[in-house]
Amino acid sequence: MIRFNGVISPAAVTRGMLGASAVVVALAAGSFAWAEDQGPIKIGVIAEAQAVAGSSIPLAAQLAADEINANGGVDGRKIEIVSYDNHSSSAESVRAFQRAVSEDHVNAVIASYVSEVVLALEPWSARLKTVLVTPGAASDVITANIAKDYEHNKYTFHGYLTSGSLSQLVCDAAKDMLVDGLKMKTAVIMSEDAAWTTPLDAGYAECLPKIGLQVLDHIRFSPDTTDFTPIFNKIEGEKPDVIITGISHVGVQPTVQWKSQEVPIAMFGIASQATNSTFWKDTNGAAEGVLYQGVSGPGVAVTAKTLPFVDAFVKKFGNTPSYCGYTAYDEVYYIADAIHRAGSTDSDKLVAALEKTDYVGTIGRVQFLPEGDPHVHGLKIGAGLITGLFLQWQHGEQINMWPADLAKGKLTFPSFVKVGAGG
Amino acid sequence: MLRRILLSPPVWISLIVVLVASTLPLYVSGYVLGLLTIAYYFGVFSMAWDLLFGFANEVNFGPTFLIGLGAYTAGILDSLYQPPIFVCVAAGVFAAVTGGIVLALPALRVRGPYFGLTTLVAVLILQNFIVVAAELTGGEIGLTVPDVISIDDKINYWISLGFMAASGAILYGLSRSPVGLILQASGQDAVQAGALGFNVTKHKLAAFIVSAFFSGLAGALMVFYLGVASVGTFVDVTVGVQVIIGAVLGGRRTILGAALGAVFLIAMGEALRPLGDLATFIVSAIALAVVLLFPGGLLGMVKGAREAT
Amino acid sequence: MLFWQILIDGFAISSLYALGATGFTLIFGVTGVLNLSHGAIMVAAAVAAWAAAGSLGVGSYLGAAFGVLTGLLLSLATYFLVVRRLQRSQRIREEEKEIFILTATLLWGIMIQEAIAYLYTNNAKTVLPIVDGVVSIVGVRTPANEIFTAVVCWLTIGALWLFVNRTRAGKAVLAASMNPRGVTLLGIELSVVYVAVWAIYGALAGTAGVLLGMFLGVSSYSAGPLTASAFSIVVLGGLGSVSGSLIAAYVVGYLETLTAYLVSPAYRAIPALLLLVVVMYVRPRGLLGRR
Repeated sequence: MIRFNGVISPAAVTRGMLGASAVVVALAAGSFAWAEDQGPIKIGVIAEAQAVAGSSIPLAAQLAADEINANGGVDGRKIEIVSYDNHSSSAESVRAFQRAVSEDHVNAVIASYVSEVVLALEPWSARLKTVLVTPGAASDVITANIAKDYEHNKYTFHGYLTSGSLSQLVCDAAKDMLVDGLKMKTAVIMSEDAAWTTPLDAGYAECLPKIGLQVLDHIRFSPDTTDFTPIFNKIEGEKPDVIITGISHVGVQPTVQWKSQEVPIAMFGIASQATNSTFWKDTNGAAEGVLYQGVSGPGVAVTAKTLPFVDAFVKKFGNTPSYCGYTAYDEVYYIADAIHRAGSTDSDKLVAALEKTDYVGTIGRVQFLPEGDPHVHGLKIGAGLITGLFLQWQHGEQINMWPADLAKGKLTFPSFVKVGAGG
Repeated sequence: MLRRILLSPPVWISLIVVLVASTLPLYVSGYVLGLLTIAYYFGVFSMAWDLLFGFANEVNFGPTFLIGLGAYTAGILDSLYQPPIFVCVAAGVFAAVTGGIVLALPALRVRGPYFGLTTLVAVLILQNFIVVAAELTGGEIGLTVPDVISIDDKINYWISLGFMAASGAILYGLSRSPVGLILQASGQDAVQAGALGFNVTKHKLAAFIVSAFFSGLAGALMVFYLGVASVGTFVDVTVGVQVIIGAVLGGRRTILGAALGAVFLIAMGEALRPLGDLATFIVSAIALAVVLLFPGGLLGMVKGAREAT
Repeated sequence: MLFWQILIDGFAISSLYALGATGFTLIFGVTGVLNLSHGAIMVAAAVAAWAAAGSLGVGSYLGAAFGVLTGLLLSLATYFLVVRRLQRSQRIREEEKEIFILTATLLWGIMIQEAIAYLYTNNAKTVLPIVDGVVSIVGVRTPANEIFTAVVCWLTIGALWLFVNRTRAGKAVLAASMNPRGVTLLGIELSVVYVAVWAIYGALAGTAGVLLGMFLGVSSYSAGPLTASAFSIVVLGGLGSVSGSLIAAYVVGYLETLTAYLVSPAYRAIPALLLLVVVMYVRPRGLLGRR
């Protein structure tokens, strides 16, 4: 059961009754101060509830909180999730953050999968000295800001893969699948013009040649683009073996037009919308053959916790979680764990405890990069930690292709796509 | 005559409201203060729009052109050189006023839907420019400014309230002054006003400048409150829509009604936040109902049916 | 090769713009209303078609028909619930009615948009296409869907032209746009004419929405830009002139396509905007405007 602001919980009713007997005292804002050390641990969740990806964040967080509470809470204290819909707006997110800290007195905030929003919240996390963890944004600037001014920005943690990491993981997968497997030699990078793709594209430009894919061109389009025909025509004119993608704000439209135009080149890379289980229906099946990076896949047990989480989520909410649902779920757990280890919800102590996180979650083993690293407070990647997966849509299903030990199928492409060198 | 203005009901009611509002920080939570702070800035946006509408009698679809110029100029200046905040704000106002003049020149030559379109196009051009010149403006990402005026809720609230009260006083005074009344008349019947010897175009231009001044000033101040400027907050047509609806909802040509309507819209939007997805829908539905059933707006509702719309 | 690509793609997108703009200008020409919920009605039609074809599984033809029907019903709802009430209001001065209708249709459009986002999320949707596959035109591989879009747009516009110029009912509509009082003197109920026009408009907007959904896809976010685009094209062509809107639609469509191909997809919208500015300055009543 999700609590949105305004609904009264039993704990608040009890407090209210106690307070009512001392009405004048209850009016002053400071009356709640004594309750903070014994009352519930509050975690604010700010997310784009109307977006397919964002809607999983508050739900997954609540699921985690319910599980922790059922097991006795954190040192006897229950976790309370306070949820805010930011309508995909940075300004609303800032407002929600201010509200969460000043009015609802949360101890930490889990916020958004949109880089723009997280970047807008980062300075407020510093100003209001409140821990902020993102379950889905990718921009490297988030961690770069922490490295630039550690003392102020240390309260922010990047709980998802940075664009730099993502590009490296895409290259790792491309080496195995495209270069070694399909003998491809050339690529065109196609990405939307957004905060998270600038470091992503820079990463691609650097690592693709290293694995043997020559980058013929790099096309950046406005996230408002609705007509992709000129873009695909241009790419086709350059005859690459593969299109390496960096798209999140768009997904359905370019994919449908890719199929409708019968572009003979495969798409491989980051395509956030492709991770949604509704993607097949939204594209009326045009998703067939699309290869995308993910941190999770149906039936893939990345860790022992992955599938039980998915089952619990589906049972409770009726649909599968989006990628940031997995990370949000883990975040509630390791924030709770950090509070337990710190013995307090004090922000500075919490930061120190979070930095020592070593938690096996649903997408891998979570550890943060330490102070001094250029990506401080970002996730560590690599074998044994977090590698992500690479999946392909086939006949309405998302089948995992990589890493090899977790692969569940073989690569197939729609008839109009020509694979192999010289495409 | 000044006495008459000061003693008129809208004025002393407004004074009382402002006085009561200024005591809010004593017993109301930081969150509510933050909400009202933004609402008050929007109140100024709507009042500035209402002034232009009242004088030029045309629907300005691009209040966010002026607001955006003010906000972004102030923000960019701060992020590049970090001069004192008031310098940035002054620069923002200057940019907005310049923009207002540049917009007024073609806009005042046309009427009706064409005026609306010209102002709308101005917003779209500004938006495109911001996105394309992302190096300078932060583009779609938005611009984070290094300085804010204060992180204290109460101080920000009083600044915003004081600003709205002062702006409201000036704008209302202008609209009810002899010059203002003539402008309203010329707005509604340019031929007659011209026949009476008034240079209508010159006065409409003045109205544009005043509207631009306050829009730009409010925009710049709001940037230093939020700490961030983005297309979605200051420039987007949806923001302009909110400004216009606030003014129409509150009661056109009343200036004070515009502030009331804007605050009402934002307060309602937040109050309905628990409904999550449906909040905007319901707020729009309520606003629509008011527009359909009470053309005089909220202020008209309060004044009763005798309000001559 | 590039030349043919630009020609064909530009034609398809321009036809789509033309259909949307025709509806918008028709409503303005006959009833004087600038319907700012135009984009929302188009999106609603597309989403209805998507939902019907996909979720309810009725297939692409019925889905499309359902979408057009949705456009029609929404348009009539717009007229009866919002516009007519304001037009007949005794409490608003005549000159003021325009801004009220503008504001009200704007709010109504927002309501529709939010309802769509609430029910179906703001994710983009594509309507199941009626035709599939590609054909080769002068060596350019073109989706059959694109040709279908252009053909249907023109058939619809053609049907509209026939209706207005060759049928009695259509001529009444045309007459009403020029002289409402004169029409009543002929014994024709003006209110019936208005209902008919809004119904036609709804069908036009619905068709445009469904086609757009099939060709490019829509999301609840598309509503605003679609209205702005129709508004720009109609003013460029001259308010109230259908042929002006058609020409303007092609001008804008080709400008955008040329920019996307020759300059960069990122700058697509800009030349059209600049053109608009120039036209506003030099010839404010548009290309073929009457006033």
